[in-house]
Order: sequence, then structure tokens, then C-alpha cells
Amino acid sequence: MLFLQLLLNGLQVGAIYALTAAGFALIFGATKIFHVAHGTAFTIAGYVFLFAWRAGWPGWAGAAAAVLAAMAFGVAMERYVYRPIQRHEGSFFTVFVAAFGVGIVVQNVIGMIAGRGFATVDTPLSFSAEILPDVFVAPMLWISLATAAVLFIALTVFLTRHPAGVGLRALSQNPDLVRTYGLSSNGLSVLAFAIGSALAAPAAIVTVMTTGLNEAIGHQVMLISIAATIVGGIGSLRGAALAGMMLGIAESLALQFVDTQWAEAVSFLVLFGFIIFRPSGIFGVVQTR
Amino acid sequence: MTAFLLNLATLAAISGILASTLNFIVGYAGIFSVAHAVFFGLGAYGGAQVALLLVPDPFLACFVAALIAGGLSLCLALPALRVRGEYFVAASLGLQMVAATLFAELKPLTGGIGGLVGIPRPEIFGTVVPVLPLALAALALILFLTARLQRGAFGRTLQSIRDADSAAEALGKNVNAAKTLAVAFACAGAGVAGALYALHLSFINVESFTLDQSIQIMAMVIIGGTGTLWGPLVGAIMLLSLPAVLSFIPFIPPTEVGAVQQIIYGLAMTLLMIFRPAGLVGDQTKGRSTS
Amino acid sequence: MTEVLLKSENLARAFGGVQAVAGVSLSLPAGQVTALVGPNGAGKTTTFNLITGNLRADSGTAHVRGKPVMGLKPWQVARLGVARSFQDLRLFTHMTVRENVLAATETAAWFWQPGGARARATREDRAVTALEATGLSALADARAVDLAYAERKFLSMARVLAADADIWLLDEPASGLDLSSRLRFGELLRAATARGVAICLIEHNLDVVAELSDRIAFLDQGRVLAEGDPQSILRDPALAAIYFGDRPQEAA
Repeated sequence: MLFLQLLLNGLQVGAIYALTAAGFALIFGATKIFHVAHGTAFTIAGYVFLFAWRAGWPGWAGAAAAVLAAMAFGVAMERYVYRPIQRHEGSFFTVFVAAFGVGIVVQNVIGMIAGRGFATVDTPLSFSAEILPDVFVAPMLWISLATAAVLFIALTVFLTRHPAGVGLRALSQNPDLVRTYGLSSNGLSVLAFAIGSALAAPAAIVTVMTTGLNEAIGHQVMLISIAATIVGGIGSLRGAALAGMMLGIAESLALQFVDTQWAEAVSFLVLFGFIIFRPSGIFGVVQTR
Repeated sequence: MTAFLLNLATLAAISGILASTLNFIVGYAGIFSVAHAVFFGLGAYGGAQVALLLVPDPFLACFVAALIAGGLSLCLALPALRVRGEYFVAASLGLQMVAATLFAELKPLTGGIGGLVGIPRPEIFGTVVPVLPLALAALALILFLTARLQRGAFGRTLQSIRDADSAAEALGKNVNAAKTLAVAFACAGAGVAGALYALHLSFINVESFTLDQSIQIMAMVIIGGTGTLWGPLVGAIMLLSLPAVLSFIPFIPPTEVGAVQQIIYGLAMTLLMIFRPAGLVGDQTKGRSTS
Repeated sequence: MTEVLLKSENLARAFGGVQAVAGVSLSLPAGQVTALVGPNGAGKTTTFNLITGNLRADSGTAHVRGKPVMGLKPWQVARLGVARSFQDLRLFTHMTVRENVLAATETAAWFWQPGGARARATREDRAVTALEATGLSALADARAVDLAYAERKFLSMARVLAADADIWLLDEPASGLDLSSRLRFGELLRAATARGVAICLIEHNLDVVAELSDRIAFLDQGRVLAEGDPQSILRDPALAAIYFGDRPQEAA
């Protein structure tokens, strides 16, 4: 039964990873920007929801505020950090360092305002019930899985049906193409940041309501998103989401064999292995060197 | 006050070694490692164990540290040979995370979270010596070596690989060997810094060898200027004196000094990348390393 | 008959289902310029890549002065005396012109270069000579990225020159050069062939081919269709038809 319990826990963690990783992969695919401040959008969304909850806002209002905050952060990053850098030199490393700097600033500002350490909101939804002998499940598990599923369907529909979504996919395949056909790639890149960052918000809200978050969680989220994107194969949204889900389950199942502190290392071991032996990821095309 | 300044100078020299060696692979070879603290840690644990178990001979400690860090640098060289750009940064992130877990968990070697305590002071011919002159000598040696390597044929080889590895290979350069050597050299240097750090503090634990530390070393290099000889040193001194300077500012509560310091260097990293990507010392007209 | 420095036999390589190179046999005699001519996608650059070890051949062999080079790494092939240039140049953009050329004279990847001070002096002489021959001496301290188009092309040639190889594989070295630059480029090739260098160049402009080459190998669909002196190849109406794209069987 321990296995089943770990699997269910893994599904919940996996849903969170899948959402954040898909956001990261969407941004990277469409803009080729390695958005390491993606975890920061997650942190901001989480804390906005936390403060809204503590201020007595209804849940949906807090959630909406969290989504808006994440989107605003993503768009601001595109506008005021990435675009100026790309306008002059813009090697990928310049982008990386700048985004990392923003992450450090936000983490410490939040630490100063909200205090350091774990914060969480308690709702009836996060109380576990025994559904099978020795298997405990909270309603949050079903909510997070359903949220992830609905958002993926919505995202897929958007990317395949809506002209802007089709434009985003075209952009990730061939930036020149979009310019030729007159779609504004600037506008599309803002859109990618808005949607990609918004995807981090539900994951952040679920995290606040279950395990809780601290000001440094953005680091971990960013690392997992990168890991999932690469393991899934850069350029493949579905691959990133699937890999996120798999990493979540793998971390959880690993607990059957190793102690908690090793769980996170599992993801990075998987990442490291993939980069050395199959850098194209599960679904990607080979593009080393 | 003197003790405070001596301590600061020692740490500055050690950080200077870290920043210079990282700059060597980042600025010249285009290998953007965010795992430098791993090799700092390997050297620190190696050097500390030599002092604890054998003799507190600083030269032996540094030698063993360089050997361990340089040898295990293959863990970093391997992905550097396979992939580049974002992929490599991700691989080095992965290495950093796994290594930090290992440092915290391999209790017999590293003392776990509690770390290694009571590392004896370094002795040369039975006399206890302070670490500062050793660290300054090591820093001078590393600066001399990096300057020699950067200006000479090896530096040109690395730069040519950074700019166009296939063309470098077509001109007869063994790209893999050159990258491996550069990484081994830089990591061995970080190992020496680690041994000196352990001997200086006589206490080490995993906290000093985490991703935060790697990022701080990176920040020193970036703020000073990649691909310059003195930039990393300037960056190291600036970042290290920042907490001291902040503690003199009255309206920052002491509990927040750490956070304010981090905010300042985070901001510095972002703003420099936007407005002055070659760093403070770097020549702005000269192109930055690309990948 | 002069000595053949590089000889390939039946080189073949497919990508997916496309047979990019389908059995190319090529000999490069010392002191001669061989032009590799053919329509786009004929497999010219792929042939270079197979010889230099950048791509692994499915079958076939290549020998440099009798030594087999199949399976060698690009840097090992280079050290046998094969220098190549790239269509997209691949200059060391953030290094100076002099550094670009000096880098071409240094092969070993170790911390030090073998041979000591005398070897270093020889290398520096070679770099100076290469810069003079390509007319880049005045620009020695400029960064490669700041050069004009023609200067970049000559820098790429200077690297080949400084590499001290006796087999040159040049991928569209003359494309886009104006007349005077092209004349200087021709002089470079003549000086090299006079020393016994075997040159193979890919070129699209048939006037340039006629002007520079001693022999032509005509490639189409991964095969050498014809080989011979420039006059007979360039006058062949069947080849011209293929080259200019009206393939009889496809016109139907």
C-alpha cells in the first residue's frame, strides 16, 4: 500500500511540475529565452494567493490575483529585462545571469516582507481521508489533477485552433516564418510570457494549499522546470509536461528506497543522465553541438 | 579590527582564486559552469581530511585538494564535451544539486550537515602559520598561471573553441582534450581554494558549497567582468566587503543585512547585464563571450 | 602524372532516405586546383565533411598520402595536412585577425605547444606571411567580427594558409568577391599550387571555375558525373542542362 500512497503523492507533485514545466517550455519554445526567473513567477503567485487568503479574500479572487501577478511579472521580465538585453548583445548567458539576479532580488524581498520559512493556508480541501486501508488522499489531489488536465486541454486547443496559438507554435518552429507572414513576433513573445507565467500560478496555489511554500521555492521550481523541459525534449510542450509528471512520480517513488533528502537529487540525476546520454530528451530531435 | 581585516583579506584571497578560476572557463572557454562550489567543496573536504587524519601540512592539503577536485572535474567536463549553451548550464545545475545532497549525506567523509569541526591550524615544519600568506601566494600563482595560459597558445585554443569549435577542430585542435584540461585546471584551482578555506576556518559544512555559493562566485566574475584578468578579483573584493559596509549603515536591522546584501548583488547582476554586459572592468567595446 | 595527395573511393552517405553522397571517387593531385561543381544539393559539402571526419561515411574509403582517414576525428585528419574553409567561414569572431591566424598555426591542445622557442618563431613567421599574402597585415589587431565581407573571406583563407597544410578543401571561397579580390585570391591559389599544394574548391560561378581550376569534377545527386579539364566539362551541353536546372527527365 505504501507504493500506492507514494504513487498518488507523486501524481500530485507531478501535476504541479507538469504545469510549471509546460509554462517554461512554452516560453523557451516561442522566444528561445531560457527564462530562469520562471520559478520567481511561481513564488510571486504563491505569495499573492497567500496574502489574499490571509486578508480574507474569497478563494477565486485570490486565485485570479495570483494569475494576474504571475502574468504581470512574466510580461515585465520580457519588456524590461530580456528585450533590452537582446537588443544589444544578448548571449544566452547574459540573459541567464540577469534573470537569476531578478530571482535573487524577489526571493529576498519576499523574505523580508513575508518572513522566512514555510507558509501555508489550511483548507478543508487539504485534509486527507483514508480511501483504502493505509492510503490517505486529500481532495486537493483530485483538484490539482483536474486543474492540470483542464489547463492542458485548454492550452492544446488554444495552440491548435486560435490564430495567436498557431502563431506561437510557428514561432517555436521557425522565427523567420512568422516575420514573413507579418504576425508581430514581439506581440507573440509577450503572449508567450503571459501564458507561460500564468501556468505557474495554479501550481503555486496548489502548493500553498498542500505542502506550503517558502521564499526560496522559486529556485527549486526553476530547476525542476528546466529538468523537465530538457528530459522531455526542448521544443516539445507535451514532452515537458509528461517529463514533469514523471519526475514528480519518480521523486515520490524513490522515497520507498531512499530517505527524503535524496528525493530531489533523483530529478537531477535523471537530468544529468539525460544530458550526457540523450541530450535531445525523450521527444526531441537531436541537436547537440 | 585587525583580526577582522585579516579574516576579510584571507577570504578575499580565497574568493579571488575561485573567481579567477571560474573566469578562466567562463570567459575563455565559454563553459558556463554553475557548479564551481562543488569543486570548492571537494577541495575543502579533501584538505580538511588530510589535516584531520594525517598532518596539518597546508601544501599536502592543497595538493590533495587539487588532485581530488581536478580528478572529479571529469563530471563537469563530460557534459561540456557533449552539449553547450543552455544544456550545459542545466547539466551543471544538476551536478551542483546532486553534489550538495552528497555533501550533506555522506557523513563519514563530510560530517553531514554538521560538517567537519576542529580542523587543525596549518603547520609548516612544526610552526603554526596563518592562512593569509598561503592564500595570497596561491592567488598570485593562480593569477600568474591564468595570465600565462590566457595570453598563450592554450588561451587562443580555448577562445577559438568558444567562437567556432568546428573550425578549431578543422585546424587540428583536439577540442575535447583542450576543454577537459581547461576544466581540470579551473576545478583544481577551486580545490586549492577549498583546502585553504577549511584550514582558515577550521570548520566547514555543506552550507558553503551549495548553489548559492556557486551563484555568488558567478556574480563576482560577472560583476568584475568576464574574460579579464583583474575583473574577477575586483568582483570578489566588492562582494565580500559588501556585508561589512552594510553593517555600518545604521537603519538596516542586523537580521536583514544578509537579505539586503543579496538584493544588492542580485540587482547588480541584472542591471549590469542590461546596461554594461562586459562587467565593471571589462572593455565595453570588446565583444563578450557568446555561445 | 603528379602525385595524388588525397584520394577517395566510393564515399557514400545517406540522411534518412536521401542518398546525399552516392559513391564519390575523387583524386586531388599535388599542384593542381580541382573544382567541385554541381547543382545545389549535389553533395559537394557533404563530400568534404566525409573526408574531414565531420561526418561518418556509410561506406567507401579516403586516403591522405596513402594513409586511410576513415574513422579519424576531424582534428586528426587536419594534422595529416588537410586544411579546410567553411562556406559560413566560422571565424573566431571575438579574437583579433592575428589571433585567428596564430591559432591556425598551433595544433596541440595542451597547456604548452611543442617545439620550444624556435617552433614558436616559425609559427609566428607563418602567421605574418599568411597575413601579408592575404593583405590583412594592416588589420592584424582588428577583431574578426568587425571586418568587411571580403576581409572575412580572406581571413578564412589566411587561416588555411597558416595551417601549413598541403591539401586544401575550400568551400565557396570566392563567392561574393569583387573582381580585384578575386584576382588576389587567384594569386593565392597559384602560389600554393606552385609549392605543390593540392586544392579542391567548391564554386558556383562557372566563370570563376574556368579562371581558377585545372580540373573539374562534376557532381550531381551524390555522384561524380564527369571529370576532366575545364574546357571540355564546361562546354558539355548535357552537364550545363543539369547545372542550370532543366533536367530533361524532370521537365516532362
